[in-house]
Amino acid sequence: MQIDRRTLLAGGSALVLGQLPLPAFAQEKLIKFGAPQDFTKVYTFVTAEYSQGQRDYITLFNERGGINGFKVHLDVIDHGNDLPRAIEAFERYKREGYVLVDPLSTPMARGLVTRALEDKINMVTTLSGRSDAADGTVFPYVMPLSPNYWSQAALIIDFFLKQDKNLKGKKIVLVHIDTPFGREPIPIFQALSQRLGYEFQTFPYAPPGNDQSAIWPQVRRARPDWVIFWGAGVGQTVALSEAIRNGLPLDRLSSSVWLSESDMAVVGKDATKGVLKFEAAAGGREPKVIQDILKEVVAKGKGAGPEGKVGTSYYNIGVMMGAIQIEGLRKAFEKAPNGPYTGPWLNEGLRSIANFTAEGLLPPITTTKEDHQGGGRGRIVRWDGAKFVPQSDWGAAYQDVVWGEIRKYSEEFKKSGK
Amino acid sequence: MLYRQAGIRHRRYAAERQLWPLTFDRVLVGGVVLFLLAAPFTLDRLYLGSYLLPWLLWSSAALGLNLLMGGAGQIHLGYGAVMAIGAYTSVHLVRSGIPFELALVLAGMTSAALGIVFGAAALRVKGLYLAMSTLAMQYIIDFTISHVPGISGGTQASLQVPRVTLLGMPVTGEVTPYYVALGLCAVITLFMLNVGRTSFGRALAAIREKDYAAEIIGVGTFKYKLLAFWVSSFIGGVVGAVLAVCYLRIVTPDQFHLDLSIQLVAMVIVGGLGSVLGSFFGAALILFAPIFFNNAIGTLATQFGLGISTDLRSHIPLMLYGALIILFLLVEPLGLAKIYDNVRKYFLVWPFRHVRK
Repeated sequence: MQIDRRTLLAGGSALVLGQLPLPAFAQEKLIKFGAPQDFTKVYTFVTAEYSQGQRDYITLFNERGGINGFKVHLDVIDHGNDLPRAIEAFERYKREGYVLVDPLSTPMARGLVTRALEDKINMVTTLSGRSDAADGTVFPYVMPLSPNYWSQAALIIDFFLKQDKNLKGKKIVLVHIDTPFGREPIPIFQALSQRLGYEFQTFPYAPPGNDQSAIWPQVRRARPDWVIFWGAGVGQTVALSEAIRNGLPLDRLSSSVWLSESDMAVVGKDATKGVLKFEAAAGGREPKVIQDILKEVVAKGKGAGPEGKVGTSYYNIGVMMGAIQIEGLRKAFEKAPNGPYTGPWLNEGLRSIANFTAEGLLPPITTTKEDHQGGGRGRIVRWDGAKFVPQSDWGAAYQDVVWGEIRKYSEEFKKSGK
Repeated sequence: MLYRQAGIRHRRYAAERQLWPLTFDRVLVGGVVLFLLAAPFTLDRLYLGSYLLPWLLWSSAALGLNLLMGGAGQIHLGYGAVMAIGAYTSVHLVRSGIPFELALVLAGMTSAALGIVFGAAALRVKGLYLAMSTLAMQYIIDFTISHVPGISGGTQASLQVPRVTLLGMPVTGEVTPYYVALGLCAVITLFMLNVGRTSFGRALAAIREKDYAAEIIGVGTFKYKLLAFWVSSFIGGVVGAVLAVCYLRIVTPDQFHLDLSIQLVAMVIVGGLGSVLGSFFGAALILFAPIFFNNAIGTLATQFGLGISTDLRSHIPLMLYGALIILFLLVEPLGLAKIYDNVRKYFLVWPFRHVRK
């Protein structure tokens, strides 16, 4: 290419224009939360719905005047599930005095654990991240604040037991994505199989899971009594379609928490009738806090996204996490109203939430310095073609087994950093 | 103008053969080196730890890959796996108490040893077929790491990097890791700048142009193809080890997936095949353009109250990023380094454009 004066000038001005300043905040008293999340790579619509709920709740909180004259600023940015980008966001938040980071991605959460612990910034790992981070003594700044995968697995098995009265001799299979995330619940299923006497088999499929046609015929051949499928994003809808294609009984098919109305719409709302899943926060628009959001945020045109998504599973999980984070903030202000408003200050609050239900949206959550999971309560719901209908009361199951595993792995982390 | 050639007379072959014969080039390089050396004292920690440090590391990796792709003409789609081998080897060695200095070398050796096994495919296949067989390496290594608990670190599949010391200095905080990365990058850069002037570099160039023609003029393709893979994998392994210790601080299998390999190939191609400078430009563009656009669009959205949805807000940067890469390659198919070269050539003879060849 020929370089002339005009190209040089254009290039130079483009460079200068690029140097826009980073956000400068208005002179308001703000507590800053960072949400670097994956909107573009793997979790896409999951993140979009989650983030919408989280932002709507925080808007609700700010509209009502915040707390002690402080409002919450939530910075949302895309990290595309790419660690250098997540690290850049984390370091920027650290410099700008953020007290909480919510990456909503298991690989990013794992990659940021060391930094969160060293820099004392609360890292929320909603229904993701390391399961053993529930042990607050080893991971003081990693905050699951929600039932981890092991609690979910235990509750699913408990539901199967209640349905069949006895699982002895039954066959339960796990169809999972072949990544550390997909293999995570296996120790719980194995431990419970010894206790309850069922036969346990696993069927891994290769990530990202858009082709599972080889696995499901094998699942059918195994003649399972119950099937659990464990994946995220695209793998979930593919798993459902394959289960239907292979004629597995859908009312004996359960997912972890990562299944939503959007997945059902993709596979077919009527075709998926009967499918079970774990639920951590009540779905639908009935809970009071969702009604409040509709009235005070969405109706005023301040909603963060399309109104149609309000009340969907992931939206409500977003609201749940927004609410829990704000409750932690409230507790922090109760303990030390004058700050200093730092990570450790908020940490005190996040670790002393007591019997919080967000006005009926969640099962009661109680966190302590030891327990960052908050009790591990949830329930099993069933898809009826239009919505998920609760099949059990809020509760937790086999927390002794779950905590056995948590302590085993957190001990190992403490000892050897694995 | 700037790149003044007048008055430079070489009286010795060594002077004529030096890397930067022009004074201005030397001043430029000196300035950049000074800036990089002084960065910890002048630059904000954020820019040091999340921009300069990864930039140096990714550039080093791109240089290693560039030796193979630009130097020897062998495509490699599994360079991320090569780095993974280095990272995991060094972390396991350091965890078992072996000093980091030794672990670095052993990490390079392990990567080289495994890299050469898969590189052996290059003896039989070329081009797209070689791309496929190196892609296989990526998947095999990924699979092995995530399925052997002894390597990945068990159910949680994450390995924390213990605090290490290099030549007696503890590699902690932000400054020491930065200097470690800078040192490594300097060594690799100097090696790459000089490799083209050695018989090894010339042999690689001969193979790149036509391997059987090289064989006819007496360059053993068997030996040099394997050597190219060996050296490049060694660099990849060492960079992987330093990446784990200085930047990632906790290693998980996801960090070394195909994404990383593709990223590196993109850096090499966008930067300029076979160009040292290009590897640095390519790494900067591929690493930081998404972050930069993301922050810029985010700023625009919050500062000026741009009413766009989060979905759109996070996808606009991707569109801009893609458009930018296409634009650069349309403007100059030979890469970013060639764009700089054009600018340099323009000034070399300015204002006497007519004397340009």
